[in-house]
Amino acid sequence: MTEMLRAPAEVKYADELDWLESIDDGPKPFSWRLSPRMVRLFILGSERADGLDREIPQKWFGDRSFVERSIVTLASDRGLLLIGDPGTGKSWLAELLAAAICRNSTLVVQGTAGTTEDHIKYSWNVSMVIAKGQSRQSMIPSPIMTAMEKGVIGRFEELTRSTSDVQDALISILSEKYVSIPELDDDNIVFAQPGFSIIATANSRDRGVNDLSSALKRRFNFVRIPVVTNKRSEAEIVRFRTTELLRRHRIELDVPPTLLDILLQSFADLRAASASASSDDERLESALSTAEQIGVLEDAILHSQFFGDRALTAHTLGGSLIGSLARRTPEDLAILNKYWHGVVEPRSKKDGGEWPDFLEGGRQAISTLS
Amino acid sequence: MSPFGALREQLLGAADAFADAPAAVPEILSGLVDDVDRALREELEIFPVCHHSPASALAMARRLRDKQPKVIYLELCEDLGPLLGELRNCRLPVALQAFATDLDGFPAGWGPLSVVAPITEASAEYQAIAYALETPDVELVLVDRSSDHVFQWQPREEEAAAGHAAGEEAGLHGDAVGIEIGDLRPRFAELEEHLLHHGKVRHWSEWWDQYVEQPLAGADYDTYRQVMVLIGSLFRRLTPERGDRLARDEERERHMWTRMREHLAATGADPADCLYVCGAFHAASRVEEFGLAGGTDYEITPRTATRWLYGLIPSSQSAIEAQFGLAPGSVSIAAATWAKAVSRGGVQPYRLDGQKGARKKKAKAAPPAPAAQPVTDKLTGFLSSPPELDGVDEAELLGWCVDIVRLARRNGYLASTADAIAVYETSILLAGMRNRVRPTPYDFQDAAVTCIEKDSVPGRRDVRHLCEILLGGDRIGQVGYDALPPLARDVYDRLEPLGLDLSKRTVQRALLNLDADPHLQPCSQLLWMLRYLLPDGAVRPIMGSRRLGERSIQESWDLTIGQHQRAVIELGYEGVTVEQVLEQRLRRAVWDPKATAATTLSAVEDSILFLGSRRFTDELGARAVELLSAERSVDDAPEVLRRIRRLLAHYRATEPELPGWCEAFVTGGYAHYCTLLPSAFVADDTGVRQVGAMLGFLFSMESLALSLGCDRAQLELAVQQSHPESPAKVALLWAARSQLGLLPLAELRARCDDLLANPLVIPSFPLYITGFVQALESVPSLGPFVVEVISKAFARLPDSVLLPWLPKLITTLRKEAAELVPVLVREAGRTFPAALADLDAWTPPWTAGPATVAAPARPVTAGPANTLLAAHPAACDAVAALLGCEGGWGAVGAAPASGAAGELLSRHPSTATAVAALLA
Repeated sequence: MTEMLRAPAEVKYADELDWLESIDDGPKPFSWRLSPRMVRLFILGSERADGLDREIPQKWFGDRSFVERSIVTLASDRGLLLIGDPGTGKSWLAELLAAAICRNSTLVVQGTAGTTEDHIKYSWNVSMVIAKGQSRQSMIPSPIMTAMEKGVIGRFEELTRSTSDVQDALISILSEKYVSIPELDDDNIVFAQPGFSIIATANSRDRGVNDLSSALKRRFNFVRIPVVTNKRSEAEIVRFRTTELLRRHRIELDVPPTLLDILLQSFADLRAASASASSDDERLESALSTAEQIGVLEDAILHSQFFGDRALTAHTLGGSLIGSLARRTPEDLAILNKYWHGVVEPRSKKDGGEWPDFLEGGRQAISTLS
Repeated sequence: MSPFGALREQLLGAADAFADAPAAVPEILSGLVDDVDRALREELEIFPVCHHSPASALAMARRLRDKQPKVIYLELCEDLGPLLGELRNCRLPVALQAFATDLDGFPAGWGPLSVVAPITEASAEYQAIAYALETPDVELVLVDRSSDHVFQWQPREEEAAAGHAAGEEAGLHGDAVGIEIGDLRPRFAELEEHLLHHGKVRHWSEWWDQYVEQPLAGADYDTYRQVMVLIGSLFRRLTPERGDRLARDEERERHMWTRMREHLAATGADPADCLYVCGAFHAASRVEEFGLAGGTDYEITPRTATRWLYGLIPSSQSAIEAQFGLAPGSVSIAAATWAKAVSRGGVQPYRLDGQKGARKKKAKAAPPAPAAQPVTDKLTGFLSSPPELDGVDEAELLGWCVDIVRLARRNGYLASTADAIAVYETSILLAGMRNRVRPTPYDFQDAAVTCIEKDSVPGRRDVRHLCEILLGGDRIGQVGYDALPPLARDVYDRLEPLGLDLSKRTVQRALLNLDADPHLQPCSQLLWMLRYLLPDGAVRPIMGSRRLGERSIQESWDLTIGQHQRAVIELGYEGVTVEQVLEQRLRRAVWDPKATAATTLSAVEDSILFLGSRRFTDELGARAVELLSAERSVDDAPEVLRRIRRLLAHYRATEPELPGWCEAFVTGGYAHYCTLLPSAFVADDTGVRQVGAMLGFLFSMESLALSLGCDRAQLELAVQQSHPESPAKVALLWAARSQLGLLPLAELRARCDDLLANPLVIPSFPLYITGFVQALESVPSLGPFVVEVISKAFARLPDSVLLPWLPKLITTLRKEAAELVPVLVREAGRTFPAALADLDAWTPPWTAGPATVAAPARPVTAGPANTLLAAHPAACDAVAALLGCEGGWGAVGAAPASGAAGELLSRHPSTATAVAALLA
């Protein structure tokens, strides 16, 4: 296979999935490639107690019950809607689920303000229509329709960004499980094969932009993914994703655990400050999600790799943190400045270690930006 | 030879095979078996229990029926024993409470001390209690350390405060220290986390339910006992060595065994007829005193001199969960499991006679106790086979699904039958995924949340909470009338005439028409007292008020005494009647080291309103006098002034003479405030309001104070010594001087005119005005002048100064003299013309000058007053000179009556003559 910048989960973990499929003797719903328990094992990783010959690493970090509820929903009659703050790993979970269940996570529709019903159902290849007339050959099925035909999982990202008429087109797909093509005289209904379901994601910060109708809500089970606040699992996530990113960029660089601690600690502080702020002006615009942390770390790593001395330092990390989080001037900068001098400075005096370097890096970045 | 030899060998083999290094593992594993062996071989039968465990309760009920013991030793504070009989009058769950406010031997900051031991129906201890109390000739002996020892053994430096539970029902226990029978939980977080992780469950209650509760529910007694001791031993052996908690537990075990040996020795009971009920953790105890043959040299420390009071308070399942850190809903689920197990038959539980909600069942005649059987190994079988679980109880699950949808709909969710089907399907799928044949309540809860909960919660409760309600809901206990302390019973008796059911937990509305039903007057009085004593919301007046000089004709009250039963019961610890408690509270308030004259005066007021005891009020009043003269700050002066004025008005209206303390307060206050006045005028931290209130006290109480022997010179001197610098206080001082006659009005006016003419002081002019407005309190006659000053300011200041200044004036007035603004506005209304049309022709009284309004000299009529004035003109002349009036004395003589009335009198003199004759 040719090289890819970012391989989808089913390609990336093909080995693992093949192996799991070979040992899976549990009952499989519909045309699933793995049984629900194996899907869970694939996503949450194996333990010694599972008695497997090979270790399956954990790929999604979060409460076990979220994963279980999601898998069970897909095995039932309803669609799955993952809802949560940006950067909480909704899309990643959706991709893993699709990859584990049907080995295809690429049937994705991205919801935007410009998404139309055609993107969900089908559209026409105009030149083919002119040449040969309307037929199944000249029809371009949407990813969702392809998923229906194949009996696999279709994904719909950012469902609440698309307009209500587009959302409503999903209602009949989810309840009747077929799409009719009135333009054709025969062969004009596409029935969903067993195993078809939809995983949608929605951003809870977008609530109110295009609210879901109650009819659509009824056809989805909602699983709310919270922001990770447990420091240990957050460290796990950051480490896991960063390793992957480093591999992707082909960078050989160590992330010292002390720096990771500093990053986690500062995000925890900033989150606490955001939670206690009374108005939006006193709150950073960033959601301070785990993905944001990974972004900061990635930025710092790339910076050290290409402009630094090929080692990640606290100085660079401080600068990257400021650079990534200061989005509005002067509000965000003021908050960061307050944090820097009210929390980081005393801590660097008290704890020492990498903190003074971190303090200096951030301070420089603030002065450059202001 | 131990029956567990084979198991021990097997475990040691496993340790060898799996442990990386020969470390502690073999020791722990063989230790577990040893513990079980030892506990089972003990001569006195040990019954290990776990709190709120239906399996324990079932095993207990079965065992009691089989064994029919004569003595039951129970792990519960020994001093709570007398309360147990009162459980008959209560609806469970209730908590046994020991309460102490008068501490002796504990740090004063710890008080009040409170220990609660909640009792639920689905617990082994309740079975034991019910059996012992209902069966003749059975003795129940509580052997755990007393409530006093609970605190004695608590580390001193540690704050004796439990976390405050949130929520109404969850907070039922207040901040009491909770006592549990059979606390069984991993003693360190990692172990619990490990168990939860590998058990694939979310919280401890779920783990316990799945791995212990369910497998043991139908197990025979031997298996039950061995498994429970094994778990107790496991947690015990994995307890951090040097923990305070372990030391305390061991101390308790020594205490319990010592007490049991003492009891056996004293009564000569046969150990074979006895049963020792304790937590599984204690069953695996390794203290020397363990067992009837254990060491005997443990000495129980005496209790402190703290006086403990005992009672029952209502509890609730959510309060128990909150206090003992259990998952929300777990106690409710345990109760539901118990109810189901009982209704399924096979076990006949014990119940206290007369218990509310109890079904009367005829107890079967007790079968003869079977002979003791040798201990056999049941552990191996239990450990090596998967738990035997019930199959799917389809009807039950269907019922839940239908009910949750109905409940959700009622709470605003758009749930339908389709959701019921989805919940059913999802529950089974989830259970399958979690290796369970039968969906547990927790699986069902997860499924319901998945299928019904959408992006927002439409009502007050979310689906998770609805599930908890569905699976048993929060049951709230109630303490029956007979088990209440005298005070609480008295309260219920005295509120009887209202005709309300005060045991209900809903809001009861009481309507009192005191004119039509004067017999409700005592109820009203009691309600007002309760309002003072109970926490907010327990009794709430909707209409009617109680203040000095006021009397309500009608009152209406919202009563939630049922919900606040604990507060009423705890009042009962303080005294026998509400009046006594109120008296104690008031007395405590005024003797508090932080008490001030103002708070004491408010206590005096309360004592008049609620108690009406003159002797007691005088005692509080005397304390107020004492406090006032000792005070060095005048921060409370406004409050003191307001309250003493009200009290004086009350006494003047209702009593022939003022009480002695009032007189002392006025004279003492006069001297006190005179002394503090000069420093208050200059101190930066004393506000204008405070100084204004001091002056108000001095001027308005002056006549009374002078009549009681005070000297006015003291006040004059004090005013002369005052040299304030801030503009507002300067204005106050000017007002005071004008009141005292030290500053004529004309001069005051001239000073203000000067200020207005000086552009440098204009910015501070509003402050002067604030001062004058504050002075209205003490020098009411200054009203017209203040209106004049403000009007002049408006008239003379140029717009460029006036317009920016106006908002400042308004904000200053609003901030510093809000309650005096109406007085000012009324005065202005009197001064200015009422209609716009009159404004053109209007001249302000101050520009018109006294000459223009001089009335024509009226002839002076004869009379005793005039005769006196004419004979002694000196005083009037002096006043006239002071005011700047000119003119002499008119001649005294009979003047003809003028006007219509005069004409009428002169035409018909007979009536007036007759009245004069009558008066003569």
